[in-house]
Amino acid sequence: MRNGLLAKSLFLVVVLATGIADGVEAKLGDTPDGSRSNFVHLIPLLAEPVAGKEPDQIHPDSDPVLPFSTKQTCGACHSYDKISDGWHFNAIDPNVNLGRKGQPWIFADPTSATQIPLSYRKWPGTFRPEQIGLTPMAFLQSFGRQMPGGGIGEMVDKSDNPEEVLKSEVTGKLEINCLACHDGNPEMDMGGASGYAIQVILRGNYRWAATASCEFAYVTGSVKGLPNEYDFRAPFTSGDSKLKPPVVAYRKEAFGHNDWAGFDIRREPPKQRCYFCHSNIDVQDGKTEKWFRDEDVHIASGLICADCHRNGLDHNITRGYAVESRDSNNPLTTISSCEGCHLGKNGEKPVAGRFAAPTPKHAGIPPSHFDKLSCTACHSGPWPANETIRTKTARAHALGIAGASKEGEILPHLLYPVFAKGQDGKIGVFKLFWPAYWATMSEGNVTPLAMETVKSATSRVITRTAFSKTGSWPDLKDEDIVKILTALGEKVDAGVKSVYVTGGKLYSLDAGGKLVSADSKMAEPYMWPIAHDIRPAAQSLGVRNCQDCHTTNSPFLFGLVSVDSPLKNLTAKEMVAFEKLPRCYTRAFAFSFVFRPWLKVVAILSSLVIMGVLVLYALKALGFVAKVVVGDEK
Amino acid sequence: MDVSMFRTVAAAGFAAVIAAILLHFIVSKPKFDDVFGKDRGLRILDPLRLVVFLKTLLFIEQKWSLVGVLRKLVFLLAILCFVVLVITGFTPMIFLGKSITGWWLMIHATAAPVFAACVAILAVLWADKNRLDKSYCPLLNRILDRNPKSTVAPEKHELKLRICFWAILTMSLPVILSAVVSMFPIFGTHGQEVLLQIHRYSTLLLSLFAIIYLYLAALTEMNRIAAK
Repeated sequence: MRNGLLAKSLFLVVVLATGIADGVEAKLGDTPDGSRSNFVHLIPLLAEPVAGKEPDQIHPDSDPVLPFSTKQTCGACHSYDKISDGWHFNAIDPNVNLGRKGQPWIFADPTSATQIPLSYRKWPGTFRPEQIGLTPMAFLQSFGRQMPGGGIGEMVDKSDNPEEVLKSEVTGKLEINCLACHDGNPEMDMGGASGYAIQVILRGNYRWAATASCEFAYVTGSVKGLPNEYDFRAPFTSGDSKLKPPVVAYRKEAFGHNDWAGFDIRREPPKQRCYFCHSNIDVQDGKTEKWFRDEDVHIASGLICADCHRNGLDHNITRGYAVESRDSNNPLTTISSCEGCHLGKNGEKPVAGRFAAPTPKHAGIPPSHFDKLSCTACHSGPWPANETIRTKTARAHALGIAGASKEGEILPHLLYPVFAKGQDGKIGVFKLFWPAYWATMSEGNVTPLAMETVKSATSRVITRTAFSKTGSWPDLKDEDIVKILTALGEKVDAGVKSVYVTGGKLYSLDAGGKLVSADSKMAEPYMWPIAHDIRPAAQSLGVRNCQDCHTTNSPFLFGLVSVDSPLKNLTAKEMVAFEKLPRCYTRAFAFSFVFRPWLKVVAILSSLVIMGVLVLYALKALGFVAKVVVGDEK
Repeated sequence: MDVSMFRTVAAAGFAAVIAAILLHFIVSKPKFDDVFGKDRGLRILDPLRLVVFLKTLLFIEQKWSLVGVLRKLVFLLAILCFVVLVITGFTPMIFLGKSITGWWLMIHATAAPVFAACVAILAVLWADKNRLDKSYCPLLNRILDRNPKSTVAPEKHELKLRICFWAILTMSLPVILSAVVSMFPIFGTHGQEVLLQIHRYSTLLLSLFAIIYLYLAALTEMNRIAAK
C-alpha cells in the first residue's frame, strides 16, 4: 500500500515536470537547466516491475529486499531508451556507424592456445562471439565484468538457446549500470569481491549487478543453480542448503525522508570510473607496477576524461580521433580531437586553447609530417624501444577485479607501441596482438570453430603439464598441432580443412599429414589505434632532433614488432612493414641524415659567399652611383 | 598544404618563358647556314646531334689555367645540378600536383648542396666579369651626363645575360636559406610553411632566370660561331 502510494506520487511529480518537445516526450532530467552545480540525486529506488504494473519503491526493511533497477530508478527522469543508443551500449545495433577500429573483446584461453578478437561491431578482423559459440550469457560471463550493461546485456532473453531464455527470468537482464560511470562515491564497487564484475561473471546476478556496485548496498548469494521458476520478489525456500539466492542489504543510513536514497551522481564521470574499463599498464620484467608509469599528461594537468570525451543525453560520446566528424553526429567531434584543442583550425571561429591547451610550435618539423603522421605517432604511448613491449588493458586482462591474475605473461599478449598506417592514411600508434585460433577453411574462407569443438580436441593434446603457470601460451610443438588438426579434421565436414591460425601464419596439414604453413590475410594481427597515455611535449618524438626517427636503427622505422605465438622461433617484423613504407627507400632516406650536417654546412657557407659577393658589388655599385650623382666620375 | 596555386603559377611561368624563348628564337633568325653550312640537309634535325650541339654552346671558353679549368667544370656541374633540381623539384609538382617526396626528394637534396656550392664559386669567379660597367643605355648616359670609361661596345644580349646572372645570384640566396633554415628548430609550423613557399617561388624565379640565361648564352655563342 505504502509502496503504491509513493510510487504514484513520484510518477505524478515526474509527469508534471515532463515536457513534450517536438512530439518526443522529454523527461525531467533530459534537459539540464544550465546550472553548473551538482544536482542532488535524493531519489526513490525503484525495482523492476511486474509486467504491466508500475514499479515498486524499495525500502531497506522490506522482505525480501529487492535490487533496484536503473531502468526504473534512473529512467524515471532520464530517457533510458535514448541513452541506450549511446556508444557504450550500441555495439549490437547493426545500423550504428562503426567508426574507427577500436579495441575488441579478446577471448583468450591458454588451455586451447587461443586468443581471438571478438566484437558485435563488424570491425574488420574481428569475429562475432557466436562464431566461436558464445551465447549472450557466455559472452557476459567472459566480458560482462567490464561492460556498463545494456546492449547484449539486455538481450539474454533473446538468445538462440532456449535454456538461456528461461534462465534469463532468473538472472534478469544486465541493465545499463548508470553508476558505473556517474557514481562519484569512492566506495562505489565495480571490481571488489562482491562488486559489479563478480556479480556478472561469477554469480550470474545480472539483475543485482548495478545494486551491488552501489556504495550503500551489498549483495550476497548467486542465481547459479536456482530453478527456473525462482521469483526474486518472493521469499525463497528450498531444501537444498547449497542454493543461496541473491540477497540485498542496504545501508539504512543512506535512506532519508520517505526512504529516498542519496546518490553522489556526477554529470561528468570521475576519471576513476573510466579507468575501471580503460586502464593500461606496461609489463616490465613480467610485472605491472603502475608507479613506474606516469598518467596521461592531460590527466596530470588536471583534466578528466569527460572534458574531451563528451556526450549529451544520447550518450553518443566523442571518441576523439581527428576524422570522427564523418562518423558521428556529435557536434563536438571537430573540436574534441587533438587538433581541436591545440590547433583549433577546423572551426569557423577560434576554438584553440580549450582547457588552456598550448598551441604547439613544432619548430623545425617540416609541415609534410602533419600530412603523414597523426598527432599520436609522436606523442602517445611509451617512448619506442628497439622492440615492442607487452601491455595489459583493463578490458583484455580484467584489471581492477578481485581475483584477476596479476601475471604479466597472462594471455592475451598485447604488444605496443606499433607504428602503423591507420584507416585515415596516417601513421599512428597502435596496440596489436596476433590472433591464434582453430578454424576451418573452405574455398579460402577461414571460419573459427566453436570453442566447445576446439576444447574437445585440444584437451587431449594440451594437457596440464603443458600449461604455463603464468597463464601464457602452453608449451605447444609442431607435432601437437598435427594431432589437434587431425582430431579436428574428424569433427568437421568432408572437404573442409581444419587449420590453426597463429603468429601471422595459417597452419594446416598437407595431403601427407605434414604440417605446412602459409601467409594468410586471416592471420594478420589485429591492431587498434591508441591515443593515451599522452606524453608531455618534452618527451615527444623529434623533440631532440630528426634522428629521433630518421636513423637506420630508429625504433620508429626499424623497431621490431614481436610475433607472438605458442610456436617458438618466429621472426619479428620491422615497423616499416606496418607503416606501409618502402623499406629500401626508407632506409636510404634515414641513412641520408648522416650527411644532413654536411648539407647544412655547405649550404650556409655557400650562402655566406654569395651574400658576400652580392654585398660587395652592391656597395661598389652604390659607390659608383654616388659618384655619378655628384658628377665626380673619373 | 595546398599546392594548386603554386602548381598553376609554376606551369604558367615555365610555359610563358619557353614560349617567349621560342618566339624570340624564330624572330631573331639565327644564322644556321653560317654555323652548320648550307648543305646541312637534315642533319640539324638529328636529335642527338642537336642536343650535343646545344650543349657545346654552353661550353664556356676554356682557359688553360687552374681557375679556368675550375670555372668551366663548376659551370658545367652547376648546369647538370640545375637540370636535376628542376626536374626533381618541378615534375611532381606540375605534372602530379604533389609535393616533392620519396626518391625525388632524395635526389633533389643530394644535388642541392652541390648546386649551392657551384653557384657560390661561380659568384666569386664571375662577379667581376658581369659588372654592369659598359654603356648599355646611351639615353641613360645622356640623362646622367656621364661618359663611361669603357669604350668597348657591349655584345648583343650582354646586358640581359648580366642581369640574369645577378638575378640568379640574388634568387639563390632565398632558395638556399629557406631550405637550410627550415632544418633548424627555429620556425614553427607556420614559419615552415612560409619558408616552403619562399623556397618554391624563389626557386621558380631562379629557374626561369637560369633558363633565359642559358638560352641567351647559347644564342650568343651561336652568333659568335657564325661570325667567325
